[in-house]
Amino acid sequence: MPDLAPLTALGATEPRRATHGALTLVERPDIALASLALRRGSPAPQPFGLALPEAGCLTGTDGFDVFWTGPGQWMIAAPGRADEDFAARLAPVAPGCSVTEQTDAWVVVEINSGRGSAPLLALAEKLVNLPPASLAPGRATRTGLHHMSVFILRPAEDRLAVMGMRSAGASLWHALDDTAKRRAAV
Amino acid sequence: MTRLTGGLIDRSKTLSFTFDGKTCHGHPGDTLASALMANGVRLVGRSFKYHRPRGIFSAGSEEPNALVTLRSGARAEPNTRATCVELYDGLEASSQNRWPSLGFDALAVNDALSPFFAAGFYYKTFMQPAAFWEKIYEPMIRRAAGLGRLASEPDPDAYDHGFLHCDLLVIGGGAAGLAAALTAGRAGASVILADEDFRLGGRLLSERHALDDAPASDWVAEAEAELESLPSVRILRRTTIFGAYDHGIFGAVERVGDHLPVPQTVRQTLWRITAKRSLLAAGATERHIPFAGNDRPGILLGGALRAYANRWAVTPQAKPSDRVAIFTSTDDGHRTACDLLAHGVPVLAVIDPRQDAARLGEYQLYSGAQVTGTQGRLGLSSIQVSQNGRSEWLECAVLGVSGGWNPNLHLASHHRGRPQWSDDHLAFLPPAEMPPGMGVAGAAAGHGSTHATLSSGASTAQALLSDLGLSAALPALPRAEDTQMAQGAFWHVPGKGRAWVDFQNDVTVKDIALAHKENMRPVEHLKRWTTLGMATDQGKTANVTALAVMAELTGKSIPQTGTTIFRPPYTPVALSVLGGGDTGSHFRPRRLTPTHPFAEQRGAEFVEVGQWMRAQYFPRDGETHWRESVDREVLAVRSGVGLCDVTTLGKIDVQGADAGAFLHRIYANMMGTLKVGKVRYGLMLREDGLLYDDGTCARLAEDHYVVTTTTANAGLVYRQMEFARQGLWPDLDVQLISTTDAWAQIAVAGPKSRALLSRIVDDTDLSNEAFPFMACAELTICGGLRARLFRISFSGELAYEIAVPARYGNALMARLMEAGADLGVTPYGTEALAVLRIEKGHAAGAELNGQTTAAMLGLGKMVSKKKDSIGAVMSRRAAHEADTRRLVGLMPLDPQEKIPAGAHLFRPGDARDTASDQGWVTSACYSPHLQSHIALGYLEEAEARMGEEIVVANPLEGGECLARIVSPHFIDPEGERLRA
Repeated sequence: MPDLAPLTALGATEPRRATHGALTLVERPDIALASLALRRGSPAPQPFGLALPEAGCLTGTDGFDVFWTGPGQWMIAAPGRADEDFAARLAPVAPGCSVTEQTDAWVVVEINSGRGSAPLLALAEKLVNLPPASLAPGRATRTGLHHMSVFILRPAEDRLAVMGMRSAGASLWHALDDTAKRRAAV
Repeated sequence: MTRLTGGLIDRSKTLSFTFDGKTCHGHPGDTLASALMANGVRLVGRSFKYHRPRGIFSAGSEEPNALVTLRSGARAEPNTRATCVELYDGLEASSQNRWPSLGFDALAVNDALSPFFAAGFYYKTFMQPAAFWEKIYEPMIRRAAGLGRLASEPDPDAYDHGFLHCDLLVIGGGAAGLAAALTAGRAGASVILADEDFRLGGRLLSERHALDDAPASDWVAEAEAELESLPSVRILRRTTIFGAYDHGIFGAVERVGDHLPVPQTVRQTLWRITAKRSLLAAGATERHIPFAGNDRPGILLGGALRAYANRWAVTPQAKPSDRVAIFTSTDDGHRTACDLLAHGVPVLAVIDPRQDAARLGEYQLYSGAQVTGTQGRLGLSSIQVSQNGRSEWLECAVLGVSGGWNPNLHLASHHRGRPQWSDDHLAFLPPAEMPPGMGVAGAAAGHGSTHATLSSGASTAQALLSDLGLSAALPALPRAEDTQMAQGAFWHVPGKGRAWVDFQNDVTVKDIALAHKENMRPVEHLKRWTTLGMATDQGKTANVTALAVMAELTGKSIPQTGTTIFRPPYTPVALSVLGGGDTGSHFRPRRLTPTHPFAEQRGAEFVEVGQWMRAQYFPRDGETHWRESVDREVLAVRSGVGLCDVTTLGKIDVQGADAGAFLHRIYANMMGTLKVGKVRYGLMLREDGLLYDDGTCARLAEDHYVVTTTTANAGLVYRQMEFARQGLWPDLDVQLISTTDAWAQIAVAGPKSRALLSRIVDDTDLSNEAFPFMACAELTICGGLRARLFRISFSGELAYEIAVPARYGNALMARLMEAGADLGVTPYGTEALAVLRIEKGHAAGAELNGQTTAAMLGLGKMVSKKKDSIGAVMSRRAAHEADTRRLVGLMPLDPQEKIPAGAHLFRPGDARDTASDQGWVTSACYSPHLQSHIALGYLEEAEARMGEEIVVANPLEGGECLARIVSPHFIDPEGERLRA
């Protein structure tokens, strides 16, 4: 292990966390990320047993998630593995693919709801211009949020994740936190 | 000061508010207008131009007169329509456009001078001298003619925005809108029902009609309760749909907190609604009939008078015995008289210009008669009624005026569809070409009776849903009146006195006649010459009447005279809510570098570069001027080692079997021949052959490259490469992804950089032989952290850039500072970075400004002729080939003379003009190394002029100096330092 102390995207040693009403926002610096793009003629692999999903979709197995990011392109996420060289781990199980390390390219904010879907959808309508179908569980969509490009992932009924560029982490957190705070006050 | 019985107000609670400092009382359910009426306030404002006393004229968002400033201090909001303000406890309102007081306004002298203020007065009068306009005339006119004044303090409230999607957007929650929402909601469609009022029901709340033999408000309450219970229906109260945009998108403002003393969360929300279908059920606006002196407080729209009596249980009478008259050309006015009688209000008479007008109740009727004059200084006291050539003055405190109803078709016309005239309706109906997917129902479609309105709402919703493949059953609608209202085509009362058409802009029938005389006859000219239809009400009560008056003057029909179309917004929208709430430092996203905490801790000054906040310089104790810090940082790099966060430079990961071939076409110079483990400087051209961007390209493996771009162009270059990959050469096997944020990259520059880096790398030989200039490698540092090392130099010194996963960037910076303490390691910012590269003659954004070529940079030979690449052919155009401008260095003869960037170059003795212009200065700085100001610039025939003197002139600010033309490489032209 290197003898350097990492910082989260929000500039702290511990992930940021905030609770507003039914919603809890938590920064997830532990998630390792790597992109996977098919090369010409290469068959779609099933890395870590993951079936690469259709456009706009998200799927997962124990310990790994994958979502579509573009034609022939996916992002593989592995919670708890951010300290590893995850791209190097993915490459051998994705033969014939281009794999790029993306762990620190993103800030991931997970939003958990203690009251099911409704508070998440109420929050989302103040953040992103997506029809409800694009926010259904199992969906992953790239869209704009407060002039930032983000992925909106809906891994579960009671959970939403927003991925934005790491360098804009503070702006993204402000937008999410402020909106969640206001929604909770209604 | 008259409250009637009944009404939809909650008398169990009393609310206090103030108007011009005087305490008044009202009830929940009141608007400010109804509450003012209940407190006996008739005079509420002064008119725009003549400062005429004005009262409440309408009961809705069309109000032209009753504009007040709401709240005070930072929350003061001018030009608020009292008719739309929901009363709350503690509300503060004050009148506008008067001095010293509303009752006595000094500028009412304008009224006496009105013959001078006719249409086009400003254009005709304030012409000479031209210089007076900005400083004298305009401020004077603005002061005299105006509405409210903005608060001078920043708005303390929050605003936000949001996005909604639905199958059907129902615009308006009256009879038609409710019927439509029930039809669609019961069918399971996703429905948004929006109404600008705080209470659903629309005109049903203002009428005495029964629905199924019960008060209409009962049915409204039932419908509302059912809609609330339907999961797919969303009701937006206090929400104005203000614009219909492309692709089924509507703009809406929800007044979330305007009805509260202080908003709980946001004051207003801007909604962007995407609707598959929309139904416009916005009702209709009553029009008045201009007659002499028709603008006194106490004169209002007949339908408004009825609404105040029925919904708010109030009239504008000063005392219950005050008599009320109605002037109407339609049966609808007679209905008002009946409703007032039912409330026990004394009705003086109904005056109807139609000879065959019939009484609908027990009141005196003057048929074939007109109102031809009024009296009363600050409020109506009597009217003159003329009939069959005789006239008489009648004492009367309130006059309701009804001239027919204009459908609120504004949104249907937002895509430039022209409303269509209907002789049957005596009104414009929605255009044939409406925004796609829109339907119109109810009074907005020209329906008059409650029955027709309800059923058109339901059937139009059914038809719109059927377009979407949804089948909806028509709901059982309540039994409702279905009376046909007869009306006469009577547009104004001819006469000599001033008869107002547009109250808000003080435009009279005479003004329209003058515009006609002066040939300002097309409606667009009429509007601009007279200002008719402008300002906050956008002529809602005036436009059609004005058109009718103009038609009469031209002898044409109304449709021949023209029509008006509408643009968003339907009603005024505050800039604060359009801004969406992100202000100050949150105005736009900020990107922070991985070493931001380090830089903050060191007290760095930051500069915005694109969205990035970059450390500009790191002041030390005792340094009083930025130049001291920058000079120190520059010298530290040249003599020891410096550290600079260069993460902001774009990084694009390029992989694939054809990655090399792809880069060959993207870069102007040879790139496919780059060896693994090497970096090369590259130039990208635009399609037109001019320089696009520059940077380095590193080859990490056979099929893996990393392209770096300038900070400013990171996004553009990535987009261009994606376009090339997907659009130009889909046959190439290339995959791209941005890794700009993934890696923290730190420049380690200076003669001691190798010594410093050797202390942190794990088992890597950094000697010149093992890791020469332009080498790159993937390696580990600090006990196993994966890193990338590039031996590249922007400063001209022995230098490296080291990249680690971004989360470790800050710690790496601290570690390098710690490890290099004995080497004099110094963090430097963008200012020192710029000085270093200018000293070295390296190009940056100022040199690559979109007007320059590779040849101008002295890099013409880099554009390879052995292959094709984007822009290569165009770069060889004759015009470029003949261009003799080249990048040069400039040294002022007096080393302390500052050369301004942007200055232009002239031969000594030449005129300082465009014809003799020789080039311009792109970048300039003070070089602590040379102890002189220096600059880079482009100069004609530069190669032959080395050593000559040239004039550097700054004609914008004045000032010029003499400089010597030198090589742009002020230091180490042979590049020995960076290869050391």
